Amino acid sequence: MNEGHIVKRFDQEIEHLNSLILEMGQLAISQLAEAQESLANEDPEQAYNIIARDSKLNDLDSQSNDEIIRLIAKRQPVARDLRELIAIGKIVSDLERAGDEARKIAGLTIRFFEPGKKPPSDEILSDIHQLAEYVCKMLQLSMNSFGEQNMKIAGKVVKRGLKLDGQLQSIIRRLTTFIMEDPRNIGHFIDIVLGIRALERFGGHAKNIAGHIVFIQTGEDLRHVADDEFLKSIGKH
Amino acid sequence: MNQTAIEDAKPIERNNSDDPLNDPNYKTVGEVTVPNAAMTTKNVDVYYGDKQAIYNVSLDVGKNEVLAMIGPSGCGKSTFLRCLNRMNDTIDICRIEGDIRLDGEDIYSRNMDVVLLRARVGMVFQKPNPFPKSVYDNVAYGVNLHGLSRSKSDLDDIVEDALKRAGLWDEVSDRLNQPGTGLSGGQQQRLCIARAIAISPEIILMDEPCSALDPIATAKIEELIDELSKHYSICIVTHSMQQAARVSQRTAYFHLGKLIEVGATDIIFTNPSHRLTEGYITGRFG
Repeated sequence: MNEGHIVKRFDQEIEHLNSLILEMGQLAISQLAEAQESLANEDPEQAYNIIARDSKLNDLDSQSNDEIIRLIAKRQPVARDLRELIAIGKIVSDLERAGDEARKIAGLTIRFFEPGKKPPSDEILSDIHQLAEYVCKMLQLSMNSFGEQNMKIAGKVVKRGLKLDGQLQSIIRRLTTFIMEDPRNIGHFIDIVLGIRALERFGGHAKNIAGHIVFIQTGEDLRHVADDEFLKSIGKH
Repeated sequence: MNQTAIEDAKPIERNNSDDPLNDPNYKTVGEVTVPNAAMTTKNVDVYYGDKQAIYNVSLDVGKNEVLAMIGPSGCGKSTFLRCLNRMNDTIDICRIEGDIRLDGEDIYSRNMDVVLLRARVGMVFQKPNPFPKSVYDNVAYGVNLHGLSRSKSDLDDIVEDALKRAGLWDEVSDRLNQPGTGLSGGQQQRLCIARAIAISPEIILMDEPCSALDPIATAKIEELIDELSKHYSICIVTHSMQQAARVSQRTAYFHLGKLIEVGATDIIFTNPSHRLTEGYITGRFG
């Protein structure tokens, strides 16, 4: 339903809300990309800046929630409009939490590279870089799917999520061999596993957002279904 | 994991004809029949002279259900409502075809007593229209007309019971002999509802019953509708989407004289199937 509302103001208000969400999405993506960069550059100062900038995501979160409450009270939305506002409320939460996960990666930079600390080898860190790029792309696709309200793109996010599961398993296996080779790596191992968990959750939020797009479009709640079912459902519409 | 799941999925069939008026075979989306119908309507056409106002509408009214009829002005929802107790008989140029049955009985048959029919299918109008009589007489009028009371005390009981069911007794019990027209708008409307239920109808038709009322009076009527649905079937025509969503269990959407979609109110207002229904309830066209 691309036709606008009779009350044009309502369209403008939803458009404004959507722009807030897209801004949040871009911010969450750049937070993780920069956190990864700070790790690559071994730059704790950059990491501190990233952590400070997380408050901007929190502000956008509050602003978007206020806007949603105001729109529900004023416009009493139904059908797709209602689904859209409810889903956007959830997307906002996912983006805010994705930002929290990016902050954890910035925290790794501080932990590893502040003066006096002994950093891990590049080999151990390589997985974090690879995974961060992968989940950034997932969230970028989710935001494209949101911007275009395109379920096919949402499907691509879910497919990437499936591959992510496989990647995580092989990363853990690889890291385990490092510990077996040299048990002194255990401290770094724990930090890196926590980082990987943060990236996994970041990807999970991207996948949740893809589910919210499908809910807006079809009314189907796919949060608790298997990925296979998710993709089938997209194909039906 | 089947990577081609998207391509393999069977598409959902939707009836999304944009121009149902020009589609002679248009079929209403949703289930028009119910298992426990108080009233059934099949293939109803209504004409005003040469102009057709209702096209091939079939829709059941379930026992103890509140059925909301919504749609833009001129879509035929009030015309259809008025067919259900033959109120359209009063319009000379109005002609009705199709089959409408109350408890299996054809309401348009020659044998049907229209006065009795309207007792069984009561009606509440947009504007409260109490008789220029006392509160008591307003409620007692229909009871006397149909000879439903055996004695004065029996009549008193019926009047009191009807006023209680209409949620008005506490407000008028000390002024039963005062004119009904002296009550507030909301009280007058509840008086009209009391008048309708005093003669124990099976179905109550309501044509925009709250459009002339303030939000408090509207809330009282809506609460009353909820209560009344335990005893009666209610068909309500309303222009308020929120009211339809609040009070009804089923909603029927009319457009250009056709019944576009009918379904559970919970579904219609969260995920309607037809794009015309979606467009109307979300305020995308009038």
